[in-house]
Amino acid sequence: MLDIRGLNLAIAGEHSSRQILNNVSITVDSGEAVGLVGESGSGKSMTLRSILRTEPRNARVTGSITLDGIDVLALRGEPLRLMRARDVSMIAQNPHAVLNPVLPIRQYLVEGMHDAQGLSVRSARLRAGELLEQVGIDHVDRVLGSYPHQLSGGMLQRVVIAGAIAGRPRLMLADEPTTALDVTTQAEVMAILDDCRRELGMAMLFVTHDLDLAAAICDRINVMKDGVVVETGAPEQLRDDPQHHYTRELMDSRPAGVIWTRTAGGAE
Amino acid sequence: MGPLGSIAVGFVALVVLGALLAPIIAPYDPTIGSVTQRYQGPSMAHLLGTDQAGRDIFSRLLWGARSSLTGPLIVVVITAVFGTTLALTSVWWGGIVDSFMSRVLDLLFAFPNLLLAMLAIAVFGPSLTTAALALSIAYIPYTARVIRSTAMRERNLPYTRSPQLQGISGVTITTRHLLPNVAPLIVTGATINFGFAMIELAALSFLGLGVQPPQADWGLMVSNGQQSLLKGYPAESVLAGLCIVLTVAALGYIGERLGGRAAAGRKA
Amino acid sequence: MMFMTRRLLALAGVLVVSSFLVFAAMYAAPGSPENFLVQGRTVSPDVLAAIREQYSLDDPFFVRFWNWLTNVLQGDFGQSLANRQEVGDLLANRLPTTLMLVLLAAIVIVVLGVGLGIGAGVRDGIVDKVVLLGSNLGFAVPTFFAALLLMSIFSVGLGWFPVFGSGTGLLDRIWHLTLPALALALPSAAVVARITRTAIREERDSEHSVMASARGVPAMLVLRRHVIRNSMLPVSTIVGVHIAGLIAGSFVVEYAFTLDGLGTLLVGAVQRKDFAVVQAIAIILVAAFGIINLLVDVLYAAIDPRVGTRRSK
Ligand SMILES: Nc1ncnc2c1ncn2[C@@H]1O[C@H](COP(=O)(O)OP(=O)(O)OP(=O)(O)O)[C@@H](O)[C@H]1O
Ligand SMILES: [Mg+2]
Repeated sequence: MLDIRGLNLAIAGEHSSRQILNNVSITVDSGEAVGLVGESGSGKSMTLRSILRTEPRNARVTGSITLDGIDVLALRGEPLRLMRARDVSMIAQNPHAVLNPVLPIRQYLVEGMHDAQGLSVRSARLRAGELLEQVGIDHVDRVLGSYPHQLSGGMLQRVVIAGAIAGRPRLMLADEPTTALDVTTQAEVMAILDDCRRELGMAMLFVTHDLDLAAAICDRINVMKDGVVVETGAPEQLRDDPQHHYTRELMDSRPAGVIWTRTAGGAE
Repeated sequence: MGPLGSIAVGFVALVVLGALLAPIIAPYDPTIGSVTQRYQGPSMAHLLGTDQAGRDIFSRLLWGARSSLTGPLIVVVITAVFGTTLALTSVWWGGIVDSFMSRVLDLLFAFPNLLLAMLAIAVFGPSLTTAALALSIAYIPYTARVIRSTAMRERNLPYTRSPQLQGISGVTITTRHLLPNVAPLIVTGATINFGFAMIELAALSFLGLGVQPPQADWGLMVSNGQQSLLKGYPAESVLAGLCIVLTVAALGYIGERLGGRAAAGRKA
Repeated sequence: MMFMTRRLLALAGVLVVSSFLVFAAMYAAPGSPENFLVQGRTVSPDVLAAIREQYSLDDPFFVRFWNWLTNVLQGDFGQSLANRQEVGDLLANRLPTTLMLVLLAAIVIVVLGVGLGIGAGVRDGIVDKVVLLGSNLGFAVPTFFAALLLMSIFSVGLGWFPVFGSGTGLLDRIWHLTLPALALALPSAAVVARITRTAIREERDSEHSVMASARGVPAMLVLRRHVIRNSMLPVSTIVGVHIAGLIAGSFVVEYAFTLDGLGTLLVGAVQRKDFAVVQAIAIILVAAFGIINLLVDVLYAAIDPRVGTRRSK
């Protein structure tokens, strides 16, 4: 479904340009969960941003990204907007930064469904409550009327997930959705995300620097280092027979005693 | 600093040089003119022409640079000395001294700068000295505010705390450690405040409350030339005004490059 | 509410202390207060008695201040020494022009400063370059110089606007005050434009704006609801500071255009050492300055939900 081929991304500096992504190729099939694992600064977020065409203004992207055969890199204007509104949605690392601090939660959700996806305001408002229940939020009305700074990170990330599944997209891009949360809520949020994904049959490109977490929820994992995908394979394959020394390093550096599980949302 | 920066520095240097060398290079006495020489256009005898009293405009601009620069110089020196002292004392003593100092600064902030200056002039009579002294007092809180917040941060760092515990006097710590750390801020602040002071002192001279005629001063020249300008002889007003604009713009640009308005304690 | 009460109390405190300063200032002058107030004018014994009465010079210092302050609070600013008129009446005559001038200039700052800043912020290229250059030069133009240039170009040269005076009737006033308001607002508008531009650019790259686009929200809406709206938070305080600053700038512009506002009255009073008038205007301006600054903070708290309303975390 998603096919990234030979993706290069360079950011123009004052004098020289810096190569951030180098010949990156990643595929995600329908309903599949694919991991993208790498250390900080390796270019994971930049890969996701290129798919939604929200790379920095001074970035130059070459190569090809297709979504069900449609050339994403050639999209602009209304078709691009519709792709973002309907087909692909994104969950970012820090929910505090994603929500506009001066707008209440209700408006965040309504904006996505009404202004982006074209639902009527009335149905969007109704749907907002249902969605929040779906992601396990109890006091729906209170949360809907709150401003972002009044909610915890875990609560906000649930709101973001609710917004991301509102349009039943085919592909979900998740950029370290639990890294900014405290440990107790991480597993909970991860479970909600994984449940929603399975329920709606969405494909997911899941970014993390935690190989174990990726192994727990992904069908396939890409290991990235310095803007290059150095290895791709099933979790078991990476565990039992890592081809690239960097993959081995990643595995060795993970905290001892963590068990590779493959239950739904089985982080921890 | 870039080409614009070099131009700015060069222009300021030229103005300072002109002011210093005025007695040597000015071809005429700036205060004496002759009725027969009124409103001359530019010529070899009078490079920039003459004013309504037949005085040589070029000579007046050179001499005018002196009062136009000394006023702001007095202001920034006094402001830097007192503002820094106040800020460092209140940071060092903290507690009640600090809050008392803050109250005093708030009080000074309650007066618009020009108003404070005019109040002082109403009491002590118009002169450049009165205007500059009053303006210095009005500017102290700006400087004190920035320096205080930076010094406060420095003071709470471990390195300034440790010698304190070993019995080194507060004065030594303040002058040895805090002062060098706020010094760049003082310089940048002074650069930007110099421009503001130049405009406000020129305004007071324009109102007849600063430098007194027949002395040459840029602000005074703008006001002197007002009638001539409206009669179609723009040279005096426009040239003196341009001198102010370019000097202030150059200083502003340099200050911006050095660290920005924030260093001058200006919100805007 | 706590916030409001605290701010109001602080403002009241500052006003009392600053009125004390304004009152006490004349005692800093060399010579006796009588001599200072009379300033070498020959006055009849009646007038001298009136002055002693107005400043209750026969009473102890703090009683004098108390009497003076209570009078001021009742709107009695005493008499002008220069022309023996009630200061209150003088002020009342002058106030409309100054208010109107400041109001028009405030509008110019908002429309021109914020407007151009937004334009330069959302658009790259030539618009941006021109606005940036203009604001770098504009902030350095003294109001009185701008006044003179505008006057000589648009009034004397082109004849589009009257040269002097404040006009009568609303429209005529606006017409008379257009150039003065432009001159007064120019430096502030330049600074505001630049700060707005920076704020817009930062907001444009902010994660919530980028994510809004990534969610498929139409570009115009992202611009309006996320970029412009949010950048107005920092800009509004800056605009407030500059509008408060217009108060002092207005003296100079009024003087340059010989408008009959408070500023020219103040300048004249300072030149003639008519201290009762100086005191009255100083107090009014300090109060206006404080009130505008307070309003700005209140407004800010109202438009930013993060200020003052923290409920839970
Ligand atoms: N706006 C930008 N301008 C210039 N360089 C950038 C920008 N954003 C990111 N980079 C650079 O691009 C590289 C890749 O960044 P990216 O955010 O994709 O890393 P990441 O793998 O997501 O890391 P992390 O785990 O820290 O999120 C980094 O070296 C970063 O410095
Ligand atoms: Mg990242």
